[in-house]
Amino acid sequence: MTPARPRKGTSWAVVFGQELRDLWMGGRGLVLSFAFSCLLSVIAFLVATNKALNFLEQREAVNLTLQVAIAVGTLLALLAAADAVSGERERGTLESLLLTPVSRFEITVGKLLATLSLWFAAFIITVPYAWFLGRGISIVGETILIGLVVGTVLAIFVASLGILISVFAASNRVSLSLGLFALLALYTPTQLPSSAQKGWAGELLLRVNPLTAGEHYVGKVIASSHSWSEDLAWLISPFVAAVVFAAAASILGARFIRLRGGVAG
Amino acid sequence: MTTPAVEAHGVGKRYGSLVALADLTFAVQPGEVLGVLGPNGAGKTTAIRVLTTILPAGSGSFSVAGVPHTRPTDIRRRIGVLPESAGYPDRQQGQEYLRYHARLYGHSRASARAVARTLLEEVGLADRAGSLISTYSRGMRQRLGIARALVNDPGVVFLDEPTLGLDPAGQRQVLGNVRRIASERGAAVLLCTHLLAEVEENCSRVLILNHGRVLAEGTVAEITRRAAAPRSGRLHVAPEHVERATTVLVGSRAVEDVQRTDGRPGALTVVFASGVNLDGASMNEAVRILVEANVPLVSFELEGARLSDAFLAMTEVV
Repeated sequence: MTPARPRKGTSWAVVFGQELRDLWMGGRGLVLSFAFSCLLSVIAFLVATNKALNFLEQREAVNLTLQVAIAVGTLLALLAAADAVSGERERGTLESLLLTPVSRFEITVGKLLATLSLWFAAFIITVPYAWFLGRGISIVGETILIGLVVGTVLAIFVASLGILISVFAASNRVSLSLGLFALLALYTPTQLPSSAQKGWAGELLLRVNPLTAGEHYVGKVIASSHSWSEDLAWLISPFVAAVVFAAAASILGARFIRLRGGVAG
Repeated sequence: MTTPAVEAHGVGKRYGSLVALADLTFAVQPGEVLGVLGPNGAGKTTAIRVLTTILPAGSGSFSVAGVPHTRPTDIRRRIGVLPESAGYPDRQQGQEYLRYHARLYGHSRASARAVARTLLEEVGLADRAGSLISTYSRGMRQRLGIARALVNDPGVVFLDEPTLGLDPAGQRQVLGNVRRIASERGAAVLLCTHLLAEVEENCSRVLILNHGRVLAEGTVAEITRRAAAPRSGRLHVAPEHVERATTVLVGSRAVEDVQRTDGRPGALTVVFASGVNLDGASMNEAVRILVEANVPLVSFELEGARLSDAFLAMTEVV
């Protein structure tokens, strides 16, 4: 019998489909999304009812909700990505996958796309909250569109970073720890005093860092009522980071996915 | 002459200064079961990983299912592998797991479903097809792994310790599957194992590795004859014939010494002379002498003629 031959360039879709099933039917995606919706409910409730918070303008309330959605949604994508290779390695399922004729590039792409589903789920969960908090003002449509674009770009960047860490990490625990550390480090500039953020060095830091730049752009458009095209320069680093890291994850993943983790050998 | 299913010439692999595999040269024909033996760290798993293209070879060349090592993707398309300590996704069903792997080999959804159903029946898991793998016993997982190795109808199947950790019933089921792969599918099977009795019963030929090098290759009979020349035999005669049996055996050029076995009336241990060829007819010499001397023989058992003796003799020497 002539061996079956995968249609060129379609195996990533098979890997993607199975990864999606494992993520969502296996329950991990559902649990994380449920936890996210609980968090968002608490924030929305406080914003709408708490005396200190409900003086926020509607725009600010919507902005706050969207910022939380992007931060947590990208975190969820990172968690899934950091487990994608190192987790399979530790569970002993990676070898069987590598023994198939599917290229490692397609394996990486399928896994990367599946991890992004967690961000999309987080975004879909956010939509009704944003609509509720922004009802009566005209920014809801714009908010949803901008949140989708910026959040997706940042999720691609963060998930690709997670995949890269997972490919090279010596263990799954190391991979998850490094991923979380990297994400926290990227959010560190948001904790700088506002005076430091306004200096040239602070602004450079915010612009170069894809996460802070993306969130800054969202804040400008939604909370400060800028037009979407006014601050586009802030999206340069998120887009560049997404493209560079996605390419690096796919190419280096294809080159370096091995049975043993670590950077040696 | 048929093309060998696997053909390796001088294949080597190093991890830094450690030689994991050196000058691996052998061939396997379609339908043959080759037992790959060796102590821990002998290079068995490395050999399988190199031949299955998971690891690149450091030197040498090989072909698998007629495909040269320079085309690893094409090799992977034609082989089935049950890796050592293979893991399984606990949250998938057995049938889902097989369908997924069949699709990775290019089967359509419908074809993958049919392949999964057929293979689950073949390995005796049809009634557990819809169960989560987490509920499978170790033996069932191994059989599922064998089924997965067959989703692409491979020409060569590599099985690395398929019976490790299984109870005797589980071992029998897995080995039954192994024999059928060779006899019914006509695939070549490379069976890595520590269980020598398993090899004696199931393998047409044996390859013994140690420290990454081939120590011996051949049929079980050839290996035992070549490596662990039988040194003694245990025979049992009626107690009243012990003296006579001892006398005639000592007089033979093939026998160096005869000793009574303590505590067993009529039991003698015959030590054969070193350097005497003890295959076939030569071994019968001792029996012939006894028969001609009218000594009724109750039993005769050659010691040191099993694969385990050969294996120990070879691997302890190096």
